[in-house]
Amino acid sequence: MLESLTSLAYGFNIALQPQNLLYCFIGVTMGTLVGVLPGIGPTATIALLLPATFALNPISAIIMLSGICYGAMYGGSTTSILLNIPGEASSVVTCFDGYQMARQGRAGAALGISAFGSFIAGTVSIFGLILLAPTLADFALKFGPPEYFALMVMGLTVVAYLARKSMAKALMMAVFGILLGCAGLDPITATPRFTFGILELADGIGIAPLVMGLFGIAEVLENLGVLRKTEVFAGKIKGLFPNREDWRRSMGPIARGSLLGFFLGLLPGVGAIVPQFLSYALEKKLSRHPERFGNGAIEGVASPEACNNAAVGGTFIPLLSLGIPSTAMTAILLGALMIYGLTPGPLLIKNSPDLFWGVIASMYIGNVMLLILNLPLIPLWVRVLKIPYSYLSTFIILFCLIGAYSLNNSTTDIYIAVIFSFVGLLMKKFAFEPAPLVLAFVLGPLLETALRRSLILSDGSLLIFLQRPISAAFILFSIVVLLAPLFSQIRLGRGLSEED
Amino acid sequence: MKRTKTTADSASALFWVVVGILACYGAPRLGLGNVTEPGAGFIFFWSGLILVILSFMVLVQSVRSTEDTVQDTAEINWPKIALVLLSLLLYGFFLERLGFVFSTFVLMSFLLGWIEGTNWARSLAVASAAALASYAIFELWLKIRLPKGIFGF
Repeated sequence: MLESLTSLAYGFNIALQPQNLLYCFIGVTMGTLVGVLPGIGPTATIALLLPATFALNPISAIIMLSGICYGAMYGGSTTSILLNIPGEASSVVTCFDGYQMARQGRAGAALGISAFGSFIAGTVSIFGLILLAPTLADFALKFGPPEYFALMVMGLTVVAYLARKSMAKALMMAVFGILLGCAGLDPITATPRFTFGILELADGIGIAPLVMGLFGIAEVLENLGVLRKTEVFAGKIKGLFPNREDWRRSMGPIARGSLLGFFLGLLPGVGAIVPQFLSYALEKKLSRHPERFGNGAIEGVASPEACNNAAVGGTFIPLLSLGIPSTAMTAILLGALMIYGLTPGPLLIKNSPDLFWGVIASMYIGNVMLLILNLPLIPLWVRVLKIPYSYLSTFIILFCLIGAYSLNNSTTDIYIAVIFSFVGLLMKKFAFEPAPLVLAFVLGPLLETALRRSLILSDGSLLIFLQRPISAAFILFSIVVLLAPLFSQIRLGRGLSEED
Repeated sequence: MKRTKTTADSASALFWVVVGILACYGAPRLGLGNVTEPGAGFIFFWSGLILVILSFMVLVQSVRSTEDTVQDTAEINWPKIALVLLSLLLYGFFLERLGFVFSTFVLMSFLLGWIEGTNWARSLAVASAAALASYAIFELWLKIRLPKGIFGF
């Protein structure tokens, strides 16, 4: 513990350097902006800004990119409360009571409790990160290829289980993601695989064009021709500081939301969306007056907002301690770490303590910045939301095209982004979720290498995955998750979306 | 409507069956290897096979199910989408030939004026501003190398 605190002090020393403070500020501001704007999310923004960070030192770059991740959680709540439109998928639940509060003239209190709740949750998750990540990294040093393979299988299974629609379809997308991720030169024999003679595909399909197409351009295509009239809350926003009664009602939900979000965020594949639904359902269950939920209950804003922020901190643990991303957003961060020449995994904390502790300390500083800046900036975000969607959509397309092109300076990546935008549109229409695809796309090459190494190690025996206790536990858990729907018709994601 | 949706769901499942079969078909050419030493096509073969099995499951589910999982596609403006996609592909084709600023100006004018129906004077003004501002931000400030093309910008 003392060692962690000393390391954290070292991290603050790095994060408080003027250059890092500046990039932290840019990151959280960009994050809030894309969180506010529906249509472009933190995943696409990180991919877009990735090439711009090549000139920076890796610490400043990761500080900025991480700022986008948690800044978006703050921004997402603003549109949920003022417009009843979630800026981010992880702010959907905030609409239920946040918008009702705004209609009752309590937009200020809703925005205020959302910002304070997010700050408290951010603080909790950072301390969790400090305590757990080094311990987990030490534990992960025992991992060999079978354990990594089993862990990734577990992550993909959990993502499919949490799919809001069909689990089979989500698994199909995960398999398709593996196929796409493994295209390119074979990591062991260097045989070109499914490159169709295109030189640019030898390194595989890039994550940036894939994400830009699936998340950015596809969203715009879906809304083409749809008249989108944004009704921004017109009243003056006052009383941003919640009163004593608001605090009394919100403290418990914030504490529970923070813990729930953090621990669920740790699990590979869970992300920030499902914990938010769970925290809302939990508060509704615990409340003596559940009928207030959906009609402007402040607990219905405080808990989910704390939860989604804490979950983001949680998702950083598998990324920084195991080198395993658990969401599409952290998958891009993993790509960024590799581009900067760092090896994500259990040794990252030991080999690059300045990066690990610097980023953690910057997350705390970033949360303070968000708390101080976010509330006064709300009128600015409201003005941004008044920009007609026709302009926003055109700019989203342009930024996605630049993002796709700029990583490799290749027009092939533009074509890839365009193709995947169409794929993404069809996926939306045919109810296939993109998140398992993106996660599997990033994990695919790691999963393949781990599988092949495991089989070489065991001389072809699949029992290696069951003979080693850690991998056996992961595999067993995956099997339970896969079989769960057979025994219960009520799956987590589906059950929640139906209820709420 | 229900019939249309079931058909759409079945059609999508069949599409993925084909993708899975193609992966299984192409994998042996890369070399499957064996379990003691998996080859370059090993993961593709097994992933393709799993995809085929899952697709059949979805196919069976869609035929039996009474629940709609596919969104109504009637509201999609397919001609507009085709035009946008074509314009983006053309943007990719001309970007390095005509340069970033000019190609972006043309694309933005088209998207704003033609697709979004903004009045042309405003579209051209916004398109010029967007092309120049994005060039300034990405090329000059963020030092991202954007193509110059025949006009040199």
